[in-house]
Amino acid sequence: MSTDQHAVPGEAELARMSPEEKAAAGMAADHVELEEYGPVAVPGSPADKRNERSVAMWFLLAGLLGLLFAVAFIWWPHEYVPAYEEGQLAYALYTPIIGATMGGAILCFGIGVVQMARKIFAHEVAIQQRHIGMSTEFDRQSLAAQVMDTVDKAGLKRRGMIKGSLALAGGALGLVAAIPILGALIKNPWAERADSPLWVTPWAPLADGTKIRLTQIDGTPVRPEDLAAGSMATVFPGVPGGSKASDAAVMLFRVRSDTVIRIRDGQQGFQFGDYYAYSKICTHVGCPVSLYEQQTGRVLCPCHQSQFNLYEGMFPVFGPATRPLPQLPIELDDEGYFVAARDFIEAVGPGFWENGKFPAWYSEPKEATG
Amino acid sequence: MSVNDTPPAAEPRRSRRGSSRRGRLTGRRSKSMRRITGTLALLLGLTAMGFAFAAFTASANEANVATAASVDAAQIERGASIYQTSCITCHGANLQGVLDRGPSLVGVGQAAVYFQVATGRMPAAENQAQMPRKEPFFTPEEIDDLGAFIQANGGGPEIPASGLRDDAQIAMGGELFRLNCASCHNFTGQGGALSQGKYAPNLDPATDEEIWGAMLSGPENMPKFGDGQLTPEEKAAIVSFIQNNKATIDPGGLPLGGFGPAPEGLIAFLVGMGAIVAATLWMGSRA
Repeated sequence: MSTDQHAVPGEAELARMSPEEKAAAGMAADHVELEEYGPVAVPGSPADKRNERSVAMWFLLAGLLGLLFAVAFIWWPHEYVPAYEEGQLAYALYTPIIGATMGGAILCFGIGVVQMARKIFAHEVAIQQRHIGMSTEFDRQSLAAQVMDTVDKAGLKRRGMIKGSLALAGGALGLVAAIPILGALIKNPWAERADSPLWVTPWAPLADGTKIRLTQIDGTPVRPEDLAAGSMATVFPGVPGGSKASDAAVMLFRVRSDTVIRIRDGQQGFQFGDYYAYSKICTHVGCPVSLYEQQTGRVLCPCHQSQFNLYEGMFPVFGPATRPLPQLPIELDDEGYFVAARDFIEAVGPGFWENGKFPAWYSEPKEATG
Repeated sequence: MSVNDTPPAAEPRRSRRGSSRRGRLTGRRSKSMRRITGTLALLLGLTAMGFAFAAFTASANEANVATAASVDAAQIERGASIYQTSCITCHGANLQGVLDRGPSLVGVGQAAVYFQVATGRMPAAENQAQMPRKEPFFTPEEIDDLGAFIQANGGGPEIPASGLRDDAQIAMGGELFRLNCASCHNFTGQGGALSQGKYAPNLDPATDEEIWGAMLSGPENMPKFGDGQLTPEEKAAIVSFIQNNKATIDPGGLPLGGFGPAPEGLIAFLVGMGAIVAATLWMGSRA
């Protein structure tokens, strides 16, 4: 950067120089030469005034649009108006108005700045010599030698204790960075033994033995006559918060009475007549599967196109899911409403390492296969 | 029946005339004679009244049956003839269906007929993965006739004549739509793919009646949503939600399917980036 032929002015000289001279000296130090320099229009001439007005117009416009934005943001009707009511157009224009005024203000301000540079600032043509970017060979070699010399003189090579503790500190710092991310992934799924959340859903009967009703999203309990043949209803456990529990959504199917459905081993009697209940949570990564094709009996997952076949006991027939959807055993209570006879006999949702293994605390296997 | 009316109606009149004549002759007749004629007159009058009553009630009954039967029978008759010319090949002579061609129509009800025929899906042009929507082949009257015919043979769900909308409940309708319909028909009713060439259709062209009919009858692979599962009030809210969605103004002019920020962002990125690159090239070419 430092110059060869242009001497940098000293302190006394700087104090004497006018701002114009300082600017010229700075340019000279950077090897910039002005070829042309001067005002765009003669100051005070009609052209000069015209330029001034046109720049001011853009800034005025920008200010006006900015004010309009503030006004629209505060007072324009922004609450949703249905199509059946008057005033939807005003509501629908809220976002475009906000966007147009804000964008317009920024655009006008930008144009104003560009116009000011072109029309008000002095016209100039400057030439700057191109510099070679790299430092000199001497600078580079001497810097590298300095660093190596410092390390050598400190004798780090022979100080094993420093090296070891430094490595430890570095490793621990890496651990500090990694542990908040990895630590959240490491959990003991059996921490609460038989009550561990991976195994238990809100369908489990209450402590006093009360079986949980199948309810619609508004809490209405479901009776067999509510469903027509060939229908599917999404039902939730009839407990507080049941419709919000991530592992509890269940599809209740009523198939036509002549439909043959494969019952998985150990799950005989889980159905009630033509009514079958399966978890709605995909066994791949836990999306809600509910694209039910009532003619083919297939249930599709919208996330990764897994397909489960209801007629085959909800085994996956296509896509990345590998386990069938768990079946919820259902029966009727004294008042004729559907209840879950017991919780799922396997874990719902996506797989995890311990799934399908024989937990030591459990008396029966939670096998995931049929 | 009006022919039967006259004789019993005439009889009481005659009997009244008889009694007045009797009044003039009273003096010349004995008390017992008067008693006998009086009794006879009473008997005659009562009998006549009985005949008249029987005649009136009979005529009223038969008139009712006749009008009801004539409207329905004619409509069902017309529906039957349409069925025999346009549907019988695939659905069978007795609505029992034909293997590999068409399903049984016993018990599907007017709702299914209306949905399939009013949307032009039936009569089908050819057998394929799914019947596409097309211009309806029959007039609305013919569709009603056909519906009456199918309804008369096995019953089934019917689309109600009114109350298909509940514009005050679009929020509830939206919640129910997202729970029950959106997985296949998309959040804004744009439809979506199913397996093996099948698809959930776009709801944009669907009318209130068609949506209601689809919910009631479960056409093709759509599950049924009977009135026990979604009450008529809930159905009306869903219909209102769908129609409100379609009627909502798009001030930008290009809704991009109403899918929301993802496609909008993609278009903004591609078009906006493209514009910036083009402007940069233009500026470079002028420098």
